Amino acid sequence: MVNTLTPEAAERAAHRPRSLAPAAGRHGRARRRQAVVAYLFLAPTLLFFAVFLVLPLGFALLLSMSRWTGFRLGDIDPVGLDNFTGLFADGSTFLAPILTNTLLFALGTVALALAGSVLVATCIDRLRFQGLWRTLYFLPIVTTVVAVGNVWKYMYEPGGLVNGVLNALGLGSTAFLQDPDTALPSVVVVQAWATVGSAILVLTAGLKSVPQAYYEAAALDGAGPVTVFRRITLPLLRPSLLFVCITQFLSGLQSFALINVMTKGGPGDATDVAALEMYRQAFSYGDWGTASAAAFVLFLVVLAVTLAQLWFFRRKGEDA
Amino acid sequence: MTRRRFPWFSSLLVVTGAVLTVVPFLDMVMTSFKGPGEAGTLPYRFLPKAFDLSNYRAAIDQLDLPLLFRNSVVVTTAITASVLLTSSLAGYALAKLRFPGRDFVFRLVLSTMMFPPFVFLIPHFMILVHWPLAGGNDLFGRGGAGLTVSIAALAVPFLVNGFGIFLTRQFMVSIPDEVLEAARIDGAGEFAVWWRIVVPQTRPVVVTLGLLTFVDAWNEYIWALLVSTADPDVMTLPVGIQLLQDHVDPARTMPIVMAGLVLSVLPVLILFLLLQKHYIRGVMLSGLK
Repeated sequence: MVNTLTPEAAERAAHRPRSLAPAAGRHGRARRRQAVVAYLFLAPTLLFFAVFLVLPLGFALLLSMSRWTGFRLGDIDPVGLDNFTGLFADGSTFLAPILTNTLLFALGTVALALAGSVLVATCIDRLRFQGLWRTLYFLPIVTTVVAVGNVWKYMYEPGGLVNGVLNALGLGSTAFLQDPDTALPSVVVVQAWATVGSAILVLTAGLKSVPQAYYEAAALDGAGPVTVFRRITLPLLRPSLLFVCITQFLSGLQSFALINVMTKGGPGDATDVAALEMYRQAFSYGDWGTASAAAFVLFLVVLAVTLAQLWFFRRKGEDA
Repeated sequence: MTRRRFPWFSSLLVVTGAVLTVVPFLDMVMTSFKGPGEAGTLPYRFLPKAFDLSNYRAAIDQLDLPLLFRNSVVVTTAITASVLLTSSLAGYALAKLRFPGRDFVFRLVLSTMMFPPFVFLIPHFMILVHWPLAGGNDLFGRGGAGLTVSIAALAVPFLVNGFGIFLTRQFMVSIPDEVLEAARIDGAGEFAVWWRIVVPQTRPVVVTLGLLTFVDAWNEYIWALLVSTADPDVMTLPVGIQLLQDHVDPARTMPIVMAGLVLSVLPVLILFLLLQKHYIRGVMLSGLK
């Protein structure tokens, strides 16, 4: 690693004028000194990544192909792909409902947050006190998941705010988090509520970059608000929309802190998601192999989405 | 513009959304004042009968809030300081120094941002358990509980941040080389150049990155929960409050939990309101949270 020359450095070396050759010795020393200093500056970072990035990835891969109860490192028992086949075997709950729940949770969050952020972002930029509204929408993002989860959990209770409003409207109470049919949609609403602020932020920035002249031209042509939105705003906002979709989807796939606070995956496994299952298999049931295998499957899904995003935006960048 | 024709619709929508965003916070505050038997009973009432502060006193006593606060402050400060320092050092090397392997290191830093945190949960925990010469462990990390029984466990996995290095590096690239070269000719070493010239010029990125890191560290829950199962003495605010809510009769303790939550979210909310421009810029730079 240390011995590889960067393309830049190689080029510089190749183009060094001959007349400067006598000075090259002193130059070379200065450059070597700078390399030493650079690696001193980078030492804490490289050391950290070696211990907390490279080593863990190797260890996680090893564990995913082993049986281990989590005590002595010498007891790690390699079992090949057994953990992975176990996850997808008949009778395993990993594919359904856990992975299905994960996808539904992520997709539901994307749909709600996208709808909410598009509506708010398109309306917010012609309002007074814009800064105030944006600040309010942003509050959940800086609030710990323990506060968000517990407040909403309490609001969903029979004696809580949501049912209080339903009762006031003459509707009956629902045990949102205790009913397997409503539990997952209920936590999706909370996740969307908690993350919509940053989506609004991204879309507002995207809207600001739409040239005003387009709207003026559309107004001259007598286009109505719906037409303007469909023909001008939406197409020009597409990169921002896609960005919001993918990043929300990614964080939805991985997030389990909120579910852990609100339902612990219940009732039954109605809200169990892949990352939560990984956590519980390891730290509650001591099945580190299965947990690591589950983590890897989820990681592959996340990686595929990430690479699709990178690929898409790189292609877009070349088009522009 | 044509869309001006419907200002009432825009206003209604934005205000309704803002109310939906704020109401849970207000419900949290209102519940924190409710007396015993007043929360969670039918019919639901938004306002408490009296604004009684006794739940806050109970939260401070029952939750041992001073200890939780101290732990949260220590851990959050350590993480923020370390991320700022390592990001500045590494960012400077990657932006302004020439050395073999620079592209490789930069690519490594970028690639660290692709790994989702949950992948590291299990291996990080095991690495801390088997940390050599800590918590009763021998040189090979055997025999004891390692770092998991120390408050350091809460901070260690977050001390360096790939995004922080990237952000700092991008900012430092725009510092003109002539300024640094002039200082070097005057005899300043690289460390002096970094400390006297580069660091003072990177104040905006320090504020943004510091704020993002502080808020994330203050709110972190899953890792802190994990460490607290190994040693209950190193609980942070979110974990301590969650444990009370899990283990005690929720109907009776809900107002106390809410009081604890109000106190625990207040510091970051105030920080955010004071410095929100910097925070929002950070979120825009890092993409969605």
